[in-house]
Amino acid sequence: MKRKHITGALLTALFAGSAVAISAAAVYLSALNSGEKAIIESPARAYAAALALRVAKDASPPTAQTALAAVTQNAKALEHISVVVEPRSTKYRFLRKRRFLAANDAKRVGAVLNKQSPLDKRLYDAASSVRSAGKPLLELRSPQDSNLTVLAAAPVMREGKHYATAIVITAPKAPPVPAPAWPLFACGLALFAFALLAALFAPRLRHVLVLLGVIGMSGFSWWWTSGVSAAYTANLTHTLAGLQRTLGTSGSLDALSASPSPWALIIGIPLALVISLLALFGVGRRMAASMAEHRLAYTLLIPAGLGMALLVLLPFVYGLALGFFNHQHGEYNFVGLKNFVEILSGGDRPLSHPLNFYFTLGVTVLWTAVNVFLHVTIGLALALVLKDPLLRFKGIYRALLILPWAMPNYITALIWKGMFHYQYGAVNHVLEIVGLEKVSWFSSFSTAFIANVTTNTWLGFPFMMVVALGALQSIPGDVYEAAAVDGAPRHKVFFHITLPLLRPALYPAIVLGSIWTFNMFNIIYLVSAGAPNGSSDILITEAYRWAFQRGDRYGLAAAYALIIFVVLFFYSKIANRLSRVSEDG
Amino acid sequence: MQQSTKMNRAITHLFLIIFTGMTLLPVALVLRKAVSPGKAFELTINPIPSKVTSEHFREVIGKTSSDGKWLFGRQLLNSTLIALGTTLLGVFLAATAAYAFSRFRFPGRNGGMMAFLVVQMFPATLLMIPMYVILSKLGLLNSILGLIFVYSTTAIPFCVWMLKGYFDTIPKELEEAALIDGASRIRIFYTIVLPLARPALAVTALFSFMTAWNEYILAATFLNREESYTLPVLLNSYVGEHGSANWGAFAAGAVLVSIPIVALFYALQKHLVSGLTAGGVKG
Repeated sequence: MKRKHITGALLTALFAGSAVAISAAAVYLSALNSGEKAIIESPARAYAAALALRVAKDASPPTAQTALAAVTQNAKALEHISVVVEPRSTKYRFLRKRRFLAANDAKRVGAVLNKQSPLDKRLYDAASSVRSAGKPLLELRSPQDSNLTVLAAAPVMREGKHYATAIVITAPKAPPVPAPAWPLFACGLALFAFALLAALFAPRLRHVLVLLGVIGMSGFSWWWTSGVSAAYTANLTHTLAGLQRTLGTSGSLDALSASPSPWALIIGIPLALVISLLALFGVGRRMAASMAEHRLAYTLLIPAGLGMALLVLLPFVYGLALGFFNHQHGEYNFVGLKNFVEILSGGDRPLSHPLNFYFTLGVTVLWTAVNVFLHVTIGLALALVLKDPLLRFKGIYRALLILPWAMPNYITALIWKGMFHYQYGAVNHVLEIVGLEKVSWFSSFSTAFIANVTTNTWLGFPFMMVVALGALQSIPGDVYEAAAVDGAPRHKVFFHITLPLLRPALYPAIVLGSIWTFNMFNIIYLVSAGAPNGSSDILITEAYRWAFQRGDRYGLAAAYALIIFVVLFFYSKIANRLSRVSEDG
Repeated sequence: MQQSTKMNRAITHLFLIIFTGMTLLPVALVLRKAVSPGKAFELTINPIPSKVTSEHFREVIGKTSSDGKWLFGRQLLNSTLIALGTTLLGVFLAATAAYAFSRFRFPGRNGGMMAFLVVQMFPATLLMIPMYVILSKLGLLNSILGLIFVYSTTAIPFCVWMLKGYFDTIPKELEEAALIDGASRIRIFYTIVLPLARPALAVTALFSFMTAWNEYILAATFLNREESYTLPVLLNSYVGEHGSANWGAFAAGAVLVSIPIVALFYALQKHLVSGLTAGGVKG
């Protein structure tokens, strides 16, 4: 048997194996990261949250009887479930104590929480945390005693006020969920064996066999995922049934009905398919051949590649998936393309609204175009002036002019923010000296935009200047001599000789510069901060605000990021094509 | 003829002086603020201070935490270690990858280079959430090592492209001769290619160092203990959104933070032109 075949088979198997591993990871993630982990693992948490939600919806708090009934009904499954009522008065000291409204230990109902007992202390602290957070909390671990982890604690509202807290401590082990590891592992092994055997004994049949494996595995992933969903749903149904029995109500609990399965479907299966298809088309075999041939090249690439994969690619994929989820109040819900629809439809805002996507896109494009134009013109002009070999002190000029590049750009941004200050800023001072009115720079779009552009131009022209200077030096002098002999006028020399010869050096700098400017977060964020009303925000600061300043909408921000990426990607593709055309022509 | 050339010269110089003056003004104002008393930014464009004081520098340098630890020293050390670590790691990773891209023709080469370019387009600010999750899983939050990893990977794409462009300009014949003499590829890389690429390496190192030394937003997110802050985080706290701005301390801090980076920049700037354009022209 040829060695090449064996390596090829191993690699094909490796491909298939990694596909399985990825879908396994995705399925596992679906259980862990969807925010519904709590519910899959323990009906207790669902119970606490559901109780609180139910009660909050009805706006009728449980009486001692209903709460007690709810607790005893579930007491078999849940070890410590209690409803702790808030103190009745903040005024009188003796009334400022939390009491049990209900507990599965019937003796304690109505009793005051005893802060000396570790259990009561946990309950007391949990009630305080929920009260200050104002929302259900999951998994509050006790630093002292791991047995006293609060699995779930949820507020019970009465007339808009925090009335009581439903708390669940240390539930029994979760009902079994299909283990993600072994069936997928077995599946991977089978594929591995398939590929190995196929490559060894039937090189021609390999493709068919791998394809069979892929189809089998995708089907399996699908089945397994729906199994998880079913287990999850059964779990939830059971809990809800208990709840409905006790509270005597019916109805669905929307917040709890999101299924975790999309994770697996979105990431796992497509990725697995892509990777397996690669394997199918013989990428594995070819890679084996080329790997042996170019071992050194790949070895040299491994360190950088690993780092990039871990800290750039992985976050990128994660961000990609995040774009399909909605994150609000600590919960992720799968929403499909809703984020993208919300952005691309402008979100019901008129086109002139600062939060409308197309408005922001327009600002971003204008921002990039104006900046790059100014950078290139100023940089090129200075380079042409400084090029003159007879010019004195040119080293000094150059050294001084690149200072803005050397300065950290957040410092630059903050300095300029200070300079554009209405009352104390140097810019307004200059305007006053010249005899003009002071300008309130950040209260209208155009002036705020000008302030941003000024800052970024100051920051960015040295780079273009240095690139242009370098490129000018590489233009041979005899070209100009020839032009001088022919008596060509200056502007003609510039447009017909200098500019065309500069193009190959300037092109990548311009493309890179516009990508940087498009994503220039620091300047916008620190100088105008989007003022007024977010109108001077560009796409990236807009996305940042959605993620961190407007209610943690990570999903929407990720969708924004994806759109930014797509825009830039096509921009660079087009720019690349243009440069090729201009080089050919 | 003679007359008009002189006139031209004078006009050129006048233009350059005015432009340079305008460029330097913001820096001069910060220098002025750093040595003049008072917390507010002053309404003036006169860069010469009327009164000189060292109070702001003393305030910034002498800052201590609530339990009496010397904060500025700690933060300076953090910044220095992170920047040096990033430089070493970044240059090593970028040089090896760039050499592979420059010298070898292998399947995946174009795709790989494209990937290195494309990742520049994904807004780094938004990789923050997943990066945070990954770092916390690896236990690298609040640690120097974590930031070194993050910064060197963000600096790599640019460095790889630049170095690759420079390596392309080094004649292959040198290496071929050494190969015939029986030197190994790795040895050639270290003894022939790297020394020849010194200008580009210098620029790469400068770029990595600047990335790490100047970065604010990731540092502010991944570090949450005062003694593990880097200098930019400290600096922003003087004019941050909370409380009143202390422009005096900010200016003094800005001067302190900028001096090393500006000095380094000027020390390496003569390589900058050759390094950048070699990468640019061939890139």
